Amino acid sequence: MNGQGTLKLDAGIEKSWEILLDPHVLEKCIMGCKKLVLVSENTYNAELSIGIAAVKGKYESTIEIADLEEPKHYKLIVKGEGGPGNVEATGIIDLTPIDESSTELAYSYEAEVGGKVAMIGQRMLGGVAKLIIQDFFKKLARELKRIEA
Amino acid sequence: MKNVIGSSVTRVEDARLLTGQGTYIDDIGVPPNTAHAAIVRSTYPHAIIKSIDVSEALLVPGVKGVITGREIEAYLNPFSVGVSAPVNYYPIAIDKVRYVGEPVAVIVAKDRYVAEDAAELVRVKYEPLQPIVDIEKTMDQDAPLLHENVGSNIANHRSFHYGDVDRAFNEADLIVKHKFHFPKYSATPVETYGIIAQYENSSDRYTIHANFHGPFIIQSVMAGALKIPSNRLRIIIPKDIGGSYGIKAGTFPYMVLLAVASRIAGCPVKWIEDRQEHLSASSSGTDRVTYIEAAVNEDGKVLGLKMKMMDNVGAYIRAPEPACLYRTHANTTGAYDIPNLKIDGYVVMTNKLPTGLIRGYGGQELYFPLERIMQMIAFKLHLDPVDVIQKNLIKTRQFPYQTASGGIYDSGDYERALQLALDTGRYKEFRKKQEEARGKGRIFGVGLACIVEPSGSNMGYITIALTPDERAASLPKSGCTEAATVSMDPMGFVNVRISTAPTGQGHETVTAQIVADVLQIPKEQINVVAELDTSTSPWSIASGSYSSRFASLGSSAVYLAAQKVKKKLLQIGAHHLQVPEEDLYFENAAILSKSDSSIRWPLKRAAGSAHWNPLSLPEGMEPGIYETYYYTAKIAEPPDQNDLINSSITYGFVADMVTVEIDPETGQVEILDYITIHDAGKLLNPLIVDGQIYGGLVHGLGGALYEELAYDEKGQFLTGTFMDYLCPTAPEIPNITIRHIETPSPVTPLGAKGLGEGNTMSAPVAIANAVSDALKPFGVTIDSLPLSPNKIWKLLSEQKAANTLKR
Repeated sequence: MNGQGTLKLDAGIEKSWEILLDPHVLEKCIMGCKKLVLVSENTYNAELSIGIAAVKGKYESTIEIADLEEPKHYKLIVKGEGGPGNVEATGIIDLTPIDESSTELAYSYEAEVGGKVAMIGQRMLGGVAKLIIQDFFKKLARELKRIEA
Repeated sequence: MKNVIGSSVTRVEDARLLTGQGTYIDDIGVPPNTAHAAIVRSTYPHAIIKSIDVSEALLVPGVKGVITGREIEAYLNPFSVGVSAPVNYYPIAIDKVRYVGEPVAVIVAKDRYVAEDAAELVRVKYEPLQPIVDIEKTMDQDAPLLHENVGSNIANHRSFHYGDVDRAFNEADLIVKHKFHFPKYSATPVETYGIIAQYENSSDRYTIHANFHGPFIIQSVMAGALKIPSNRLRIIIPKDIGGSYGIKAGTFPYMVLLAVASRIAGCPVKWIEDRQEHLSASSSGTDRVTYIEAAVNEDGKVLGLKMKMMDNVGAYIRAPEPACLYRTHANTTGAYDIPNLKIDGYVVMTNKLPTGLIRGYGGQELYFPLERIMQMIAFKLHLDPVDVIQKNLIKTRQFPYQTASGGIYDSGDYERALQLALDTGRYKEFRKKQEEARGKGRIFGVGLACIVEPSGSNMGYITIALTPDERAASLPKSGCTEAATVSMDPMGFVNVRISTAPTGQGHETVTAQIVADVLQIPKEQINVVAELDTSTSPWSIASGSYSSRFASLGSSAVYLAAQKVKKKLLQIGAHHLQVPEEDLYFENAAILSKSDSSIRWPLKRAAGSAHWNPLSLPEGMEPGIYETYYYTAKIAEPPDQNDLINSSITYGFVADMVTVEIDPETGQVEILDYITIHDAGKLLNPLIVDGQIYGGLVHGLGGALYEELAYDEKGQFLTGTFMDYLCPTAPEIPNITIRHIETPSPVTPLGAKGLGEGNTMSAPVAIANAVSDALKPFGVTIDSLPLSPNKIWKLLSEQKAANTLKR
């Protein structure tokens, strides 16, 4: 499963970068994120609680941030394991300045799921991935607005 | 009294089933301290188990134990299986998982809710390995290895050569060849697996209640795995089993798993499988790739066949595999007189659910390439498929017919059955209609299939997986034994005990019919007990419900046991009445004399005297009326030095004619008419027969159009619900017309043959032939299933694009 998209952030590129990589912001913006703990440089342990189709459950995940090219490019590697199955996803994020106070964010992702999630949620996964991503950016925009204000 | 064998009497089972009085596994009471199990399963298709942390799960109130493979291993041997490859199959993963859904831990708790909650808390750390799911790629030298100690993913390979194939191929006018892929699909009984297992340490004994229906050779396999003498493994099956269609033979690994869980937890353990578990981790049909080549003359006569077959048995080869490959060995050439045959058979393992029996077992996999190639021959030679079939069909005068691979077809009239199919379906008329429809842009097609339906398996056939030398090293296996006990109680009423483990086929009814006929008593007075208990029932290795063996074997055991009772009653009567035995006969529950109409002695008196007044019996006769008959057919011999094997006892015949219309916009296949002609010898109960045929046909329809256990290329299982795994439901059932001819089997005492699986074998290819016929003008050929609208639409679009390019 994969996908991509672009959106506009209402902040300059430096500010956008800072916010995107702020663990407190990530914790707030990732759907179902109960806890996000830094374990080593650029690696976090996260506790996620997500329901996909009929499969609800907790995932213990690691989120690694790699290929950092401040302030325009980075990669997110998410690995999650839990009762309902496992998830492995990679996201690539590119930032391009539009003007002083706005930035274009382009993302692409690839994700693989295993276990029950694949078994009974496969049909909805595309939709669920979109939902999670849209939710993330909606919350992020809110955070940006809050911080800017 | 009139003859009840052969009449459409209604089923004695139905009253209790329709009024909610059926006794299924989940209806059986359990001992008060019974715990309930939930199973933690692998989410990876192929991975090393690094660690299993059960500490959190153990803290859940009500959890009695969390058991991992390592703990269970101590109590088990790997299951034995009929190949020499040293595949270690346990009912739970120990150091590695090899398919998604493989058991990794068992939670035993006070109820299922607690068990399921605790299962979520078991932390398994995996190190993923490269998975492999492709049948052909798994045979590559550098394919990821499932079983390191086996050294390859090939579990078994044998080559067979019958007749003179090279000569046939040299002399033939042309060779027609193609590759076919038959998918992995399932059987989906409403009732899933269910087990109540109890270990008693005082006597080191396991008692297991399960909806397992054999083959009971697996009782020996289970006892061997549990490392106990086989009489300390008691298996009791409930009165009613809620359908199986073969798949519940695959209950056995879970029976052993739960048995050991009971032992470790120290209490009886109950487990009812859920639907996701059933689809992902119970058992399934075997997917097969076949390369088939036919040596053919211009007139359509097939001189020889070469078949390379590769069966995918999933992550572990387990009993009764590799039987899918060999069950049909004797009838590899189907309904055709083809004396030259080469078979190259491979059994391979991949990271998919292990396979086992499902209805049709081996038949649909065989006939899909065989009947498709017959149509392709016709198309290539510009002949009508009917002509090619007729050219090659075995003729009536050739029976009993010996096949190239050693089968002995007992009886049949294939030409008449085919003609009846063509007449009933109005073949010629349909061809005209098809022509007219094409003019209007509508896509019509007609498909035929003529198949031989084997029934009643010869237990010797599985050893064909071994070479003659390997076979010589162990004791030969043969026979198809089934047993039944007919007894009369002190009041003269009849009890019959059978060991055919029915799963809904109406064995109780037919048993009562047979005994009623032999003893001339009303069938309503006959009590049939079908709950097999390995400690008390008459049974043998072949016992159980599979290979449509009741009509050929179970009924024979019942009939011959009743004959023993009849003989005894006649002797008692002759002695009591002082009339020669030959002068006596039974009618209306009484013993009568042919020569003296004043003589009449009620049967219940005769039977009663064997209990109440045994001293009145003829000199030397045992008291009581309790007769058991163990039946086997003599023709079920072990394979010979030349690998000739008569793998089944009786061989029925099915001729199908299917007409379809395909929607060019959506690719949807609509079945217009399904005509099926059956010859299953003497029919014991035509009502039950037609019920079996409808059921078998619908399962075949599922295989043709809807059902597939789908995996992605990474080995993830994608069809874990009935939304993803599509089964035909009532609205999908087409018009079905059933007709019978009866050529009685000379092999069985009643002349009957099995018939529950014929259309499961024939429908996938009959429908594929109809679709291929419909799409012939577009140059589309069907070589895989199921024929979903998106598959047909894609084939049509690709072909249209290619045709446009050509212009």
